[in-house]
Amino acid sequence: MSTSSQNANSWANKHPGKSLSERLIGTGLFILATISVLTTAAVIVVLFSETFQFFRQVPLTEFLFAPEWTPLFADPRYGIGALLAGTFLFTGIGLVVAIPLGLMTAAYLSEYAPFEQSVRVKGIMELLEGVPTVVFGYFALLFVTPILQSLIPGLNLFNPISAGLVLGFAILPYISNVASDAMMAVPRSLREAAYALGATKFEVVTRVVFPAAISGIVAAILLATSRAVGETMIAAIAAGQRPLLTLDPRETIATMTSYIVQAATGDQPAGSLASRALFSVGATLFMFTLTFNILAQRVVERYRERYE
Amino acid sequence: MQRGLSLESSKSPENLRRERINRVFARAVIVPTALALALIAVLILDTLYDTISVQVVEVTETSGKSFPLGQAWNAEQVIRLELLAQGLPEEEVNRLMADPEEMRIFGLRNRVELMWATQEGPLRWVVSSIDDERVSNYSLLEGLRRWNELKAGLQENQQLRLNPWLDYSFLNRDPSRNPISAGLRVALFGTLWLLTMTLLLSVPIGVGTAIYLEEYAPKNALTRFIEINLRNLAGVPSIVFGLLGLAVFVRGMNLGPTLAAAALTMALLIMPTITIAAREALRAVPDSVRLAAYALGATKWQTISRVVIPATIPGIATGVILAAARAIGEAAPLLLVGAAAYVAFVPQGPMSEYTVLPVQIYLWISANLSEFANTAAAGIIVLLLTLAGLYALAFWVRRRFRVEW
Amino acid sequence: MVQEIAIGHQTVRREPVPAEEAVVQVQNLSLFYGKHQALYNVSINFPRNKITAIIGPSGCGKSTLLRSLNRMNDLVPGVRLEGKVIYEGIDIYDPQVDPVEVRRHIGMVFQKPNPFPKSIFENVAFGLRLQGQKAGLEQAVQRALERAALYEEVKDKLGEVALRLSGGQQQRLCIARAIATEPPLLLLDEPTSALDPIATERIEELLLELKKRFSLVIVTHNMQQAARIADRTAFMHLGVLIEEGPTNEIFTVPRDPRTEAYVTGRFG
Repeated sequence: MSTSSQNANSWANKHPGKSLSERLIGTGLFILATISVLTTAAVIVVLFSETFQFFRQVPLTEFLFAPEWTPLFADPRYGIGALLAGTFLFTGIGLVVAIPLGLMTAAYLSEYAPFEQSVRVKGIMELLEGVPTVVFGYFALLFVTPILQSLIPGLNLFNPISAGLVLGFAILPYISNVASDAMMAVPRSLREAAYALGATKFEVVTRVVFPAAISGIVAAILLATSRAVGETMIAAIAAGQRPLLTLDPRETIATMTSYIVQAATGDQPAGSLASRALFSVGATLFMFTLTFNILAQRVVERYRERYE
Repeated sequence: MQRGLSLESSKSPENLRRERINRVFARAVIVPTALALALIAVLILDTLYDTISVQVVEVTETSGKSFPLGQAWNAEQVIRLELLAQGLPEEEVNRLMADPEEMRIFGLRNRVELMWATQEGPLRWVVSSIDDERVSNYSLLEGLRRWNELKAGLQENQQLRLNPWLDYSFLNRDPSRNPISAGLRVALFGTLWLLTMTLLLSVPIGVGTAIYLEEYAPKNALTRFIEINLRNLAGVPSIVFGLLGLAVFVRGMNLGPTLAAAALTMALLIMPTITIAAREALRAVPDSVRLAAYALGATKWQTISRVVIPATIPGIATGVILAAARAIGEAAPLLLVGAAAYVAFVPQGPMSEYTVLPVQIYLWISANLSEFANTAAAGIIVLLLTLAGLYALAFWVRRRFRVEW
Repeated sequence: MVQEIAIGHQTVRREPVPAEEAVVQVQNLSLFYGKHQALYNVSINFPRNKITAIIGPSGCGKSTLLRSLNRMNDLVPGVRLEGKVIYEGIDIYDPQVDPVEVRRHIGMVFQKPNPFPKSIFENVAFGLRLQGQKAGLEQAVQRALERAALYEEVKDKLGEVALRLSGGQQQRLCIARAIATEPPLLLLDEPTSALDPIATERIEELLLELKKRFSLVIVTHNMQQAARIADRTAFMHLGVLIEEGPTNEIFTVPRDPRTEAYVTGRFG
């Protein structure tokens, strides 16, 4: 049968393997897939080249230790601390709200809710996730702030308390989704062992399920923190756009994101120091969120190894 | 420690306490959900509430009269009545109304509105000019509470009215620095343009990436790198995409603050979302179906294009609709790539300047004028209704077209 | 005894199908998944217009052998193969041959019904469309459905999604889909293992009908099925073809003790 290649008759195709068009499609799809990599590369190049230019004009010590962030003033100062303090207040208040609420929702979803009820709860969380943040900002500024002002003396119109409160609800779904998945992954046998020792459901949840799912819970909190740090519109609308190095939550502050909005809605020519300062804030923000995301992924991978 | 099982021991104070904590917690876990639901409800109700206000207006330009529904049925009839009431002769009115340019200018300077209540009675047409001075703007409840008091205090040339900010003409009006004549038309068209362009760019890239990763990619370091990168890209704050767009598209490619720059920025922003949804849809197609196609002599691409992709279209469509919903509500990155500018005209093409719904809402919120809070509320209701429509569509697609393997 | 079964690599020689009556000749075929060898030097001729059953305990390589007849194994990464599979005078593993083209000439039906999520009509027309046929699709689809004994049940709902059919109907649809392009050889990989007895009986009747027109190779774990429908039966064990011959001989006078042990139900 060595004649096969000569008498390759009616049916045997002469060009074996993949045809040219098949290979072109594979290559084309690969090129599309690299766009995401190029995007990341572009983000990094853009942020850090501008930041590099920024640091050629502004010393790092000024950036780290100056008490004010006022690039647009006649006497500009470039202390990122003012923006970090604002971000810390805004994010911190958000997490203080979101963590207990999110974990309780996660406990409800994984331990208590009957099926139809958990579908409904997830629906409500999706709804919360779907609300545009500009709407949350409006709500914080025009509904929450007036109420809080009547309760807290000396509260500014723009303040991180009401912005943070509403932020807490905006990031609640991220915590409840990831944490409830982690808690559901805890083997049934662990729970049964605890019940067999006479534990109440509350004790099973808090002393067995929570500790067993701790890495998933930590990942959930890290992801939510990353979201909160990057959250822009709530901060820009309700927390304020005045950088201030303070930890008093009644003051008007600026987060990194709200400063970027403030600077962007003004007009700064490309290449000006103010524009470069804008990108240096962006780079700082990017570093923070990336760190939280990578940490979260690390933690998640570790817990996958444990249970799969 | 020996302890027998007895009814007493199960009712010890310690056990009762544990039982109580257990019961309280079992009830408490539902509280956050209830709070979340309450927040959404209050948010919507409060915003709806803010779309109505009670105003006292000092009429300087217009006739100051209102016309009952029935005397006029549409804006054109109202304009005729108004012009006659201003004392113009009939021929002059006819001439003005026949001239489209005059009517355009009239439309820019005035607003015809069916008011729910005025001091002369309910459901009356009012023509207000942007030059009319609004003396006061009250929230609905306060305005109604003080309705009679305000009515009694009206001076000559003043009107009291219950102003519904959200109505059809609100959707149809151009933006304005004056809240009374500000509308959503330009932002609506901007959103439609931007969404279309964004999806045209991001769907092929996102779905293509998903097909590559699910169907083609070898299991190697490069593939893993692409996957990790995609996950991290999905976690980059949207405002950072705005900085990217500003540096690369607006400045680098010199596109300026145009729809094109915005669409490119938004496409990169929502691409990971689409890829993730498409990958899930592709993974749901069982391998047995791919084998069946191969066994019939289909090539790889024939298998993917004729069997796998058609089976994933419902899943991908759902993902794309949800990504579109995300894109529609996104304001932060667009503020950096030009949407914040005052734009008076509907976009004519990809190189037009633009604004979009959430950015318009943001600009109204940050404007220091209480009436803009009312237009912002009206804008938010329009935005939420649009999103609700999209979510309903996604839900329907998922239900109606889901493939049951 | 058990030990003996496990180690032998020798095939019991019986009278093979003469080459001129064979639709496919497998010659000294060995197959490796990476380092693991799944087939050991298998040689067998499959006769034209007959049903050949391949039986053996699970993991014996019967499905692997079947899948090497239309190069489906090529889709598994890391597969390596030695020997020849000669179909219509051509070694289908010749480097000149496109595996995609091979599969267009040899039909296959799988263990679990796997209709495409398309209409009944489009399922059957799929192979025809792949081959570029545009005219006469209706007649071809109808013919295939009639041969698969499904036409009467579905003629009024050809546009309906195939996934709504019952399991047995789905499997007959898959058979119709495979034979629509009139492949001379049809491979069936445990086609009734996911079906109830009534649906199984219908498929078996259908296969007996189909052999008038097609050559069939069927892998089955069900010895009664092999006995009922197969003209010839091949018994495989641990990747080795132990014995192959006319069905009644294999079941009544097996020459190899391993075959005997299997057909009498002592292992498997």
